[in-house]
Amino acid sequence: MKNRLKVLRAERGWSQQDLAERLEVSRQSVNAIETGRYDPSLPLAFRIADVFGMAIEDIFQRGE
Amino acid sequence: MSCGTSVKNPAYRRYTRRMMPLSLLYVGAIMLASWLVPDRDQANATAIALALLPGLAVLGWIWAMARLLIELDDEYLRVLEVRKFLVATGVTLAVCSVWGLLEIYTDLPRLPVFLVFPLWAMGLFVGMLVNRITQGASGNCA
Repeated sequence: MKNRLKVLRAERGWSQQDLAERLEVSRQSVNAIETGRYDPSLPLAFRIADVFGMAIEDIFQRGE
Repeated sequence: MSCGTSVKNPAYRRYTRRMMPLSLLYVGAIMLASWLVPDRDQANATAIALALLPGLAVLGWIWAMARLLIELDDEYLRVLEVRKFLVATGVTLAVCSVWGLLEIYTDLPRLPVFLVFPLWAMGLFVGMLVNRITQGASGNCA
């Protein structure tokens, strides 16, 4: 699954740690999701969408 | 070794707090049993009780590891821990199965069953390396 996490984070000037704190997860988790090594669960994907104020499908797309 | 942010997770701190006294209990109980009970002693109540005492610590370790998986609220870190457990289980099954066959067909010494848990724990270290290589993160470093 592809995602726009890194771009969205950069647009807001957030570091991985900043996003991790907003999501209440570890920085490792944010890094793993950003780099595509880990696909988040649906509840975490909803939390990510809420943090960016966007729909899940605007952040995550099908594909490698 | 740098642990990143995982070390800050309260579940890891609780895990370490639980494992330390249990490890001391294990070492102490082994020393006590070795001191008081001769090897291959008759199975009287005292010998059985002293021999089982370290087993209580092992049961405590297993409980502490189960609690870690339950209490770890960061799903990615939990995945890393589960991967380590799976690698450790695979290593243990492989070593015990292959060694068991060697025991049947050769005169190699028997693998004492109490070594299975330490073997599994060494498998956790292999799992940590696998995580490090494939994920670039190892999970808990306690």
